[in-house]
Amino acid sequence: MGKGFSKVFNLTGGIKAWKKEVAVGSEDTGLYLFRSEGSPEEAVITGFGLEMGLRDFYLSMQSRVSRESTKALFGKLAGIEILHQERLVELYTEITGTAHTMTEFAEKIVEPAMEGGLSTEDFLGLYKVDLNSELEVLGLALAIEAQALDLYLRAAERSDNGNTSKVLLQIAEEERTHIARLSNYIDDQQDLT
Amino acid sequence: MKWKQFFTPISSINWEEAHQLVAQTSEQDVILLDVRQPKEYTRGHLPGAKLIPLGDLENRLAELEKDQPIVIY
Repeated sequence: MGKGFSKVFNLTGGIKAWKKEVAVGSEDTGLYLFRSEGSPEEAVITGFGLEMGLRDFYLSMQSRVSRESTKALFGKLAGIEILHQERLVELYTEITGTAHTMTEFAEKIVEPAMEGGLSTEDFLGLYKVDLNSELEVLGLALAIEAQALDLYLRAAERSDNGNTSKVLLQIAEEERTHIARLSNYIDDQQDLT
Repeated sequence: MKWKQFFTPISSINWEEAHQLVAQTSEQDVILLDVRQPKEYTRGHLPGAKLIPLGDLENRLAELEKDQPIVIY
């Protein structure tokens, strides 16, 4: 959350743990914030990695959820993340003066930066998501999109280049619409569990 | 594809610790913040929890006191 809030705690296990009246462990399974330092260039790399992760997450979840409308929503969101990746590569070229294709950028720049990270399966395990619950899967999608929004807003704020800042804010705005779309979808589907 | 651990975790507390936090301060001094959707809140929420859906949080931060402990779920 940042923004001057100093005593913020994430409740491990969320409301499910409360229903059981027991703690479910001490792992940090909840909300995370991007580090606040770092250059716009780093943010572009981080953002690209996050977009890759988001796309992977949506495609992986698309094959697991049963509701057709949820599959369609995840497919649409996965498609938009590719457009974000393209824009981020263009932005990286503009910032650094080094041109890459999307594949090169992913393989040579982003993937090395992701070494030691978690696989999507590990990531899902960390969040203890019940993959049989579309509501939980959608909730995690919301949380990841919120992290993406946070990343782009912070990076835009730090950037002293007007165009970089503008592009990052545009992508942030689109992540904001993803959050709205996911939120509205959860509210519209009366029988989601 | 890897998810890099480039996130800085905020402090996590379990339910026992949350109960202690509420007991140690006055109940009104700890904000229980529910960031789920209204429908989920309606189905069940912590007594006294304030609902601000995640998508609205950025625009509604002014509703929260910066120096009060906030427990998010």
